[in-house]
Amino acid sequence: MTIVRDPARPAIKPASPAPARRPRRRANAVGTYLLLMTLAVLFAGPFAWLVLAALKTKTEWVTIPAKILPEDPQWGNFTQALTEINFTAYLGNSLFLSFLYAVLVTFSSAAVGFGFARLRGRGKRPLFMVLLSTMMLPQILTLIPTYVLFARVGLVNTYWPWVLWGLAASPYLVFLFRQFFAAIPAELEDAAVIDGCGYGRIFLQIFLPLSRPVLVTSFLLSFTWIWGDYIAPALFLDPDHTTLSVAISAFYRDPHGNPDTTLQAAAATLYVVPVLVIFLFAQRYFIRGVLSSGVKG
Amino acid sequence: MEAERAGRGRRRWSRYPSRTFYLFVSPWVLGFALLTALPLGYALLVSFTNFNGRNSRWRWVGLRNYTELVRDADVIASLVRTLAYTAITVPLMVGGGLGLAVLLNRRLKAVGLFRTIFFLPSVVPVVAMAIMWKLIFNRDAGILNAILERVSVGPTAWLVDPNAFYALIILTLWGLGGGMVIMLAALQGVPAELEEAAVVDGASRWHVFRHVTVPMISPVIFFQVVTGIIASFQIVIQPLLLAESNQVGSVALVPQSTHLYMVQVYEEFFNNNRYGYGSAMLWVFFVVILAITLVVLRSSRLWVHYQVDSEGER
Repeated sequence: MTIVRDPARPAIKPASPAPARRPRRRANAVGTYLLLMTLAVLFAGPFAWLVLAALKTKTEWVTIPAKILPEDPQWGNFTQALTEINFTAYLGNSLFLSFLYAVLVTFSSAAVGFGFARLRGRGKRPLFMVLLSTMMLPQILTLIPTYVLFARVGLVNTYWPWVLWGLAASPYLVFLFRQFFAAIPAELEDAAVIDGCGYGRIFLQIFLPLSRPVLVTSFLLSFTWIWGDYIAPALFLDPDHTTLSVAISAFYRDPHGNPDTTLQAAAATLYVVPVLVIFLFAQRYFIRGVLSSGVKG
Repeated sequence: MEAERAGRGRRRWSRYPSRTFYLFVSPWVLGFALLTALPLGYALLVSFTNFNGRNSRWRWVGLRNYTELVRDADVIASLVRTLAYTAITVPLMVGGGLGLAVLLNRRLKAVGLFRTIFFLPSVVPVVAMAIMWKLIFNRDAGILNAILERVSVGPTAWLVDPNAFYALIILTLWGLGGGMVIMLAALQGVPAELEEAAVVDGASRWHVFRHVTVPMISPVIFFQVVTGIIASFQIVIQPLLLAESNQVGSVALVPQSTHLYMVQVYEEFFNNNRYGYGSAMLWVFFVVILAITLVVLRSSRLWVHYQVDSEGER
């Protein structure tokens, strides 16, 4: 999608720089910085408070009035968070499911995206319309009945649902790949067809390697979807086989059954930091993903 | 795998490109049939029964679930709350995203750093998000009350009624960086000549923004509003996780004020085991979403132009 430009509008004359605004502009810049800095503190604050909570002792955490900084940072909370629950097992489940889904869904979405971008077929347009509409469909809507159905055929508390979801391609990622493939010049493919190359090979050997940035985007996005997902593992998996997200949300308890807040904060830090690190290093891929959903273009 | 098969029978396939097309899109078509259409159809079937999830002796009850839910005070109340939540968050999310984008769409130093900081929360997993905000909203140990105490406001219980509703809204707003990034890209797509021409013609900055920039990015704003509405309607995990709960996925302790429509659905399914009734609620929700989507698809032709279609269609 791009913004419609009115063709009837006359061509715009090149603008001359607007003078006589300099001093006001400088004052503006200071105001803008102050505003941005305040907002930055508000947006980054929760991260800082999480880490600070993770570094406090249990008594320090419940002390009133609340203290900002821990007196003696409890780095041991992090190691204790790893042993208090079976952290590594849940971590393994999270990594396994995220990786499995990300690989499957990236490949299947690339194939489907290629189909919609490059091949002809009856009913392609209506099919694509259906695909676009399913992008709007809330996940929870199908998830609950899927759970009821899968419970009846014994697929609950297995990892098969994630395999199926992965194989089924994600409309959103299909769209991402479709946009990319549609923009590749036709000559490339024509040459391959003349050389007697089938579409399977054209896809695997020409288009897939070309789409490396989209492959990375797709993998990172889908990986973080599953890593961050709560509702599907909460519904589909028993506490023993569940993912880190569910474990962290509920399993940190003191002997009385009350939430063990400081350990939970430590665990949440360990859970969220990888996401943030990946994000910081691969920001442009995430931005590409977000943009395709909103601007489509 | 389907790609390999296409390769082997290449001559035949290329003479019938339609088949190649279907081969390639089959993962999605099958997935759509099995994992979207089938569950939805199943839910429709179940919505006409009194199925409780376990007992196989379910009975056809016709439209009784539907006639009950339009009269169910809990359902109506949850719907009203959802509408209120939507009416508050969507304008704030879209407006806030646009505001931040406008702030960052200038030549300022460290603009990239600010963009990263604002965007970061939108990639935080929902569980971590809920934990972080529970630490902030904690009545005794939370930093929010500690700050409020400095200005001599007594301790406030944020995570119970009626404040839980506002806590939920704040948690949602924290993630508005995703919208900001989209708006930023839209703003950068507005031709600078257009805005400069308006300045030359003597328009104030506000006028340029209001009458040049906003109309130019209106399709994006519109799209954001629509996806925002759909996203707010389906909120369920956030209220669940913000509540003090003693087991995974329990709605028992979700405060009244954050007991939104989907929380109600979740409760009917997993606490009351009323699968039939819950399915009916899901279908009402589905029809509403469908209506919104159709309106969008229709009107998007007026707003929006698909540039790649002709290429893809070759």
